[in-house]
Amino acid sequence: MPVSSFNFYRAYSVARKEVMHVLRDPFTLVLALGLPVMLVTFFGYAIDYEVKNITLAVSDRDGGPAARRLKELFSSSGYFRLVETGPGGPVGMLDSGRAAAALFIKPDFSKTIQGGGAVETQFVLDGSDNAKAGAVIGYLPGIQRAGQARLAGREIREPFSFETRFLYNPELNSRWFTVPGLAAVIIGLLAILLTALTVAREWENGSMELLLSTPVRPLEIMAGKLAPYGVLVLAGVFFVYLVSRLVFGVPFAGSHFLYLAACLLYVTASLSQGLFISVVTRQQQVAMQLGIISGLLPSLLLSGFIFPVESMPPFFRYFTMLLPPRWFMAAARGITLKGADLGELAVPFLALGLLSAGMLLLALKKFKTDLE
Amino acid sequence: MPELSIRTENLKKAFGRTQALQDVSFDFSAGLLHGLIGSNGAGKTTTMRLLAGLLKPSSGTINYFSGGHPAAFSDLRPGLAYMPQQASLYPDLSIEEHLEFFRDLYRLEPGEYARRSGELLEITRLAKFRERRAGQLSGGMYKKLGLMCALLRSPSVLLLDEPTNGVDPISRREFWELLYGLAAQKILILVSTAYMDEAERCSRVHLLDAGRLLASGEPRAVLKETGAASFEEIFIKQGERK
Repeated sequence: MPVSSFNFYRAYSVARKEVMHVLRDPFTLVLALGLPVMLVTFFGYAIDYEVKNITLAVSDRDGGPAARRLKELFSSSGYFRLVETGPGGPVGMLDSGRAAAALFIKPDFSKTIQGGGAVETQFVLDGSDNAKAGAVIGYLPGIQRAGQARLAGREIREPFSFETRFLYNPELNSRWFTVPGLAAVIIGLLAILLTALTVAREWENGSMELLLSTPVRPLEIMAGKLAPYGVLVLAGVFFVYLVSRLVFGVPFAGSHFLYLAACLLYVTASLSQGLFISVVTRQQQVAMQLGIISGLLPSLLLSGFIFPVESMPPFFRYFTMLLPPRWFMAAARGITLKGADLGELAVPFLALGLLSAGMLLLALKKFKTDLE
Repeated sequence: MPELSIRTENLKKAFGRTQALQDVSFDFSAGLLHGLIGSNGAGKTTTMRLLAGLLKPSSGTINYFSGGHPAAFSDLRPGLAYMPQQASLYPDLSIEEHLEFFRDLYRLEPGEYARRSGELLEITRLAKFRERRAGQLSGGMYKKLGLMCALLRSPSVLLLDEPTNGVDPISRREFWELLYGLAAQKILILVSTAYMDEAERCSRVHLLDAGRLLASGEPRAVLKETGAASFEEIFIKQGERK
């Protein structure tokens, strides 16, 4: 019976109707093409892991040349802004949040160093902001290393030292790291939202009942719904790509073809997720809310975008394996920054492929069983 | 297309605890204009959806016949058209775009489509509104567009769920004229309505009340049998008995 088998032409006519809806609804077009670019630009500038302009309260009870040089080292590093206070001042400034760190220089600091001795200097940090404290700690070894020779006035030989170099992102430019991840979050959210609304609208509109009484099959409706939004989201991907290259100067070390393939898999998974939500809720309002929550939270918090997956408790580490954004994040960063090839990214690609196929089947199955 | 008829036996449909249909046996014979008459909540829409294959019965059977021989629903499906009661068209698509969309779903040949759509636009007198979007059509025009979408593929079974609901009297009369024209083409038409005056326009009536079949047959025969002067009276009497 030809009616029950998949007919490409019928799927195409559903897709064409969907295109007409989109073209007549400026909101969808703006959402699909404008929003990703806007969000990536906006948050690309806002999210910066580098901590700068740290107010450092200094209590200098020495006042000698070595203490002066030490203070110069902090201010010339570019990360600190020094505020001199009396001996009791730094604690008050930390308490009130006017300073993030404090430096206490002992009275005989310069004298001890000139005499060839060793002296300890207290450095106090505001531990209530983990991220900031962690970043500030990271700056200290560099300052210490630069200070050894200058303060003592002679070359100091350390028994061993680390010679660090950052591969793939030599300057540790945090935008190179954030922007590709941000793109993943936004593209996923967009794909989920677009399809979450489309089938729900068809139910709300009453047209689903009419559609189902025609020879068109559920699979054809699904394909006809997915294809146009897939194209739309890929157009969004392209614009986001332009912004990250041109505005943020993010390098692209790997293969564009491979990146496109990863995007296709990820977009398919997200579109299917949206379709599933749409089929389950059948209401645009609820579908939209569910779409935002399920599209945004996992990709922001559990994908490795901000918090590394490796440092999560075991349960969450395994749980993230079920999330397409986690794998896309790995693939996207690997391709753009490291120039990784398919062999190196076999696991993320395999996982993305499986998840998107699984998600598609789930949506289809739910769609079919609901109607029968 | 051979003539199609549908017979149901002890059809039951429950939604949770609500009994929408209880033991109804219909006989919708081919080529006649059948009316499914009943007030809101009588089970008209449930009957329509069951016949269209959109719902499965809780118990009982629906038998389809083609040329007098039993036929599978899947064989019949291509010749079955259904027009839901609720608004079901796309407000942002024009009359012509609706016709083209359904042409593609039904996979009509260009020649057949041109002939058929021309005919339908003429009898519905919507030809000059073909550019107008469904969201801007009047109630009567909207229903006619729904009918056109259903009729585009020349169905053998036409299920119309309250096609005249909320339509002004003149448009209602026009709509019935359209249905008479179709009945003459030997297709099985089932129209549901809550307007009792429309019962007399049908060649067979089936009176539904609270999920039960009160009576069915030729309108005049049914009136004679029940000794009522009008169909309204039958329903009022039924209400008093409860």
